Amino acid sequence: MTVFALIIINKAGGLIYHRTFHEGGLNKISTNDYLVLAGTFHGVHAITARLNPIPQQINRNSASSAGIMTRPEPPSGLEVLESENFRLQCFSTLTGIKFLLFTDTTQTNVDLTMRRVYEMYTDYVMKNPFYQLEMPVRCELFERKLTSYIREVNNR
Amino acid sequence: MVVYSFYIFDRHTECIYQKSWLPPPSIQTTTTSSSDNAKLVFGTVFSLRNMVRKLGGEDDAFISFRTAQYKLHYYETASSLRFVMLTDISTLSMRNVLHQIYINLWVEYVVKNPLSPVEHKGGEGVRNELFELGLDQFIRGLM
Repeated sequence: MTVFALIIINKAGGLIYHRTFHEGGLNKISTNDYLVLAGTFHGVHAITARLNPIPQQINRNSASSAGIMTRPEPPSGLEVLESENFRLQCFSTLTGIKFLLFTDTTQTNVDLTMRRVYEMYTDYVMKNPFYQLEMPVRCELFERKLTSYIREVNNR
Repeated sequence: MVVYSFYIFDRHTECIYQKSWLPPPSIQTTTTSSSDNAKLVFGTVFSLRNMVRKLGGEDDAFISFRTAQYKLHYYETASSLRFVMLTDISTLSMRNVLHQIYINLWVEYVVKNPLSPVEHKGGEGVRNELFELGLDQFIRGLM
């Protein structure tokens, strides 16, 4: 069970953080390629939300029949991608920031890991008074806590 | 397990066959037509396939992705024929099912059909009775 890498994409599709935790899991690609990947993924994520094959009407009817006016869940974009060599979990926050975790195909409880990473982001990046929104993440504390947490997950 | 729709794309990136098992919507709520949808599907799988190959190496293959509403399965043959299937999220891997469709239906009824053209421009040669019937029976058997 290994976590290979973490990527954070801001709401405009720009790469603000990328970090590899395990060598040999994914191919080494340049920072430029990572930027392209982040932009591509941002676009694909938007399209996958539009592709929803289930008509929205069904949701609305079931909501009104229950007697409670509820807003139907907005269609979500890509959440999990599987390939032969790795697994990609995407978590999109309400503010539009996307966290991508690359793990090996047998990794379990990625949701939990993702939650913990998001907590660290809020604690050590968002609460950092010197951090500018939408800008690349350069916070030493975040870096340190993240490294030790992922090391713990990878050695489990 | 529910299958929503199924697409085949040829090596020229053209959608040569598509079928939906959803009841047609009574009121047209979305503005996208089925051909627009096929283009969106192709764009998605093409981008993701390239992304997977870049990160996982040339021998890596994109298998599937899932959103909160649906799951998309992908299978590509050596001749760059692409099979795509949209199902509900609880479905397990459909890769072998797509492979079976390729072996038992595509090869049997489309490739071995002497009247079928080599290139299926506009879906020519794919929409034959045996293939359509076989596919529909196969998918309904799964559901």
